[in-house]
Amino acid sequence: MDNTRNTAREWVHGLTALILGLFLLGISSGMGVMKSIVDLWGGILSIPEYPAVILREMFIEWRSWSRDKNTLNDEVRRLRNENAKLRLDLAKFNSEKMYASSDSEIRTARVTLRAPMSWWSEIRIDRGEQDKITQGLPVFSNGYLIGRVSSVSLMSSWAELITSPSFMIPAVIEETRELGVVAGDGNGSVLLRYIPAGRGIKTGMKVSTAMIGEQVPPGLPIGQIAGEFSAGVDGYTTYRIEPGADMSKFYTVSY
Amino acid sequence: MTLVILWLIQDLLTVFIGGGMQIPSLFMLGLVYRLLIDDSNDEGVNLWGIWSAFAGGILWDLRWIGIPGFFTLGYVVVVLAVIQVWGIIPPQGRSSGTSLIVFILMEISQLIPPLLPVLILGGSAGWRFFLMQQVYSLPAILFCIYIYNRKVRNRK
Repeated sequence: MDNTRNTAREWVHGLTALILGLFLLGISSGMGVMKSIVDLWGGILSIPEYPAVILREMFIEWRSWSRDKNTLNDEVRRLRNENAKLRLDLAKFNSEKMYASSDSEIRTARVTLRAPMSWWSEIRIDRGEQDKITQGLPVFSNGYLIGRVSSVSLMSSWAELITSPSFMIPAVIEETRELGVVAGDGNGSVLLRYIPAGRGIKTGMKVSTAMIGEQVPPGLPIGQIAGEFSAGVDGYTTYRIEPGADMSKFYTVSY
Repeated sequence: MTLVILWLIQDLLTVFIGGGMQIPSLFMLGLVYRLLIDDSNDEGVNLWGIWSAFAGGILWDLRWIGIPGFFTLGYVVVVLAVIQVWGIIPPQGRSSGTSLIVFILMEISQLIPPLLPVLILGGSAGWRFFLMQQVYSLPAILFCIYIYNRKVRNRK
């Protein structure tokens, strides 16, 4: 009996709540006061909602920052790649230009003086400014680098030989791409210095100019490794180079 | 008090998400759970449930719909359904074996209230929000069933 009464009371309350809800739904859409109540309730709730608003703004800012950062990173990566490609293209272009100019203007010069006092250091050739000789120009014998022009006068020039102790030029071992410096010792020997020890350098490996420097193009043949000269305590080894040109006898050179 | 906190959490989450109806109705989950675990046969609890649903629905309508009635009706209908269905099962039979019924009642509490505004106001966006809310509700419902089962086991 009690149970039935309870159920009936629940229904009465439930239906009352439903009718009240429907009534509110029916009348509230046209009531201006409802707008004020909504605004008031929104204003009250804005206090506890404040942390959520702040969190939301922080989240939006973080998302925007993250998106911008990714876009910028992509842009930087793209520009770096483009820059590297342009540098490579420029280097290739310069190299080809140098080769083209050297190929097109290969000329010969006669050795007019090789003083005994500076036998391994320098020679004089019969070409000068009027023959478009410039300081730093590479000089060849038998197709191999033997030195570079050190001073120029109107009708003659001096070339410093690779056997000179003051001659230094960046070079590369073609088989291993190890970089070092070619220098003479003043007594007819040519050395390749500053090669890190233990890099598997073997006799007979070819040495040519490296892609460093402005006037001497890369890839000009110098000679080949003749053997180890000395192993320094600093971890670098010096190798003896057998020049491709016969450094004892040349009467003419090309440039 | 728990229901007030759940209502506020639901409101704060909706603010954080930026409006819409995607957030599961935590308030209704809490209310239905409270009605389901009550085995006192006290009529006052059910009446409290009806009017709590009414109040929670009106406040939600005032905050997010602007017209009181939509969620109010939905919440009251759900509570009435829960009271009637749950009343059929004798208290001795309310065990972990009734999990499916608990799941259905919990699901109804998430299905009916947001359905009314979508049906009346329409719009494709409304349907999208409604479907998203159903998906997000599932973990909350499963969690409620889990604690319900645990509670029932402990009671034994």
